[in-house]
Amino acid sequence: MDVRARYPQRVDILPLGDTTLLVRFAKGLDDEANLRTIRLAKVLVDDLADGIVEVVPSLVSLLVRYDPSVTDPFRLSGEIQLRLGRAGEAVCSEEHLLHVRFGGEDGPDLEDVAHTLGVSPEEFILSQTTARLRVLATGFAPGFVYCGFHEAWLHVPRRTIVRPEVPAGSVLFAAGQTAIAATEVPTGWHVIGRTDFRNFQPSQDPPTLLRPGDSIRFGAID
Amino acid sequence: MTARVLFERAGPLTTIQDAGRFGYLGAGISASGPMDQRAYRRAGVWAGATGGGGLEFTQAGLDLVVAEGACDAGWDGGDFVLAVNDRLLDWPGSAHLQEGDRLSIRPGAHGNYGYLRFGGRIDVPEALGSQSTSTRARLGGLEGRALRTGDVLTVSGEGKGRRPASVVPMEAGDVRFIWGIHADFFAGDLRVRFNGAPFRITRTLDRMGVRLQDESKVFEGASILSLVSEPVLPGDIQILGDGTPIVLMRDHQPTGGYPRIGTIIAADLDRFAQMRPGTPVVFAPVTVDHAHQLLRRAAP
Repeated sequence: MDVRARYPQRVDILPLGDTTLLVRFAKGLDDEANLRTIRLAKVLVDDLADGIVEVVPSLVSLLVRYDPSVTDPFRLSGEIQLRLGRAGEAVCSEEHLLHVRFGGEDGPDLEDVAHTLGVSPEEFILSQTTARLRVLATGFAPGFVYCGFHEAWLHVPRRTIVRPEVPAGSVLFAAGQTAIAATEVPTGWHVIGRTDFRNFQPSQDPPTLLRPGDSIRFGAID
Repeated sequence: MTARVLFERAGPLTTIQDAGRFGYLGAGISASGPMDQRAYRRAGVWAGATGGGGLEFTQAGLDLVVAEGACDAGWDGGDFVLAVNDRLLDWPGSAHLQEGDRLSIRPGAHGNYGYLRFGGRIDVPEALGSQSTSTRARLGGLEGRALRTGDVLTVSGEGKGRRPASVVPMEAGDVRFIWGIHADFFAGDLRVRFNGAPFRITRTLDRMGVRLQDESKVFEGASILSLVSEPVLPGDIQILGDGTPIVLMRDHQPTGGYPRIGTIIAADLDRFAQMRPGTPVVFAPVTVDHAHQLLRRAAP
């Protein structure tokens, strides 16, 4: 066992209201913090401490909702600290291949993004289909996933103008990530394509297929 | 006992709500549920509800007629004027409704949300274990939407029998909060001024959030950073880029990237939800431990 595992890096465990704690690994986007978030969520769910009623991983932090009639933040943060040391390296994850129609009507911003990056649209599409991305988190809307992280040269800022609504299945690009919308959403991200895959099936439980930590590859279709 | 209830008028945002759809924040779905949870539960006591959802309505109220059958009904939350066949009944209260009875609800002196519950169960399917309507996620209730004039609901099954719920006096005083996960992003003197500063509820309020007017301009000119998205909860007081405070409510977005200076405690959130536009609000910080004591005292 290496020293890092026995003495995990400092984390912030903060109250978020009076029924949840937030465990935060970083204040900014960070690959390692995201991995640690996903791992801790898994350990917390597999080895549920008394009083925990919900564990919600996000990009670099996770929310632990508790029943205040069963436990208190002091006891709970102790339980979380104990599990931090046990948050092992390997999280069993699935691989998904998602078919995307890049550009054209389905991805109206793709040419602009390619131009900003100084590559051809074909080269940009190649960067998407060769990238092996990780589902970083679900958030913002039902089944909406953030996938990342792209190589540094692929980072572009968001659009200055927010689109009030893009269709379900929109594949979005900004901030070093590719996001997939499962429902109609407003967005300031660049719309680069569309998939028929919907990561939100309310008739199924769980209603989402993609889990944080899963691997994602995009396949280009016409 | 089965009844078919026809809505002759449904005010805007009349929705079916039950206790809430908890456990799906990780799938990007906030729990929804009643804006005033305790009033919803009291309405259930009045109605003798066995479970399942009830109706949440806004100030505009509603009109319904029992098109067929009979059912027990109970009501509570805020203040409304309720009549059955044009005869005024007490608010809160209950009645046994029979075929042809017309129930009408009109705005009263205070409150934003009222609840009408039945002895039997409203026959709409559960979505992910709950009947709560989330119009944002288009889930639950009747086709995931607010009720409209002409909608018909079926109420089936026996109730437990109507009985009075405890009458709760209107609470007053500061709205208590716990310093938020981003409180340290705000300057120390700003935090001091926030504590006790006058705010006012604006007209921009719904089940997603309540926009506040910052009367003494606590947040004017504050540098508000955009942050990495983190999970959001009802009661979170988030500060937009232009300094506008918004309190996130039951149909909140699952995550948010604006800084949150505090979170209203669970014991005070029902009362906050009932504050009408124009109501002055003063926030006062408490510890988590104190909030838990208040929660135990407030239960059920």
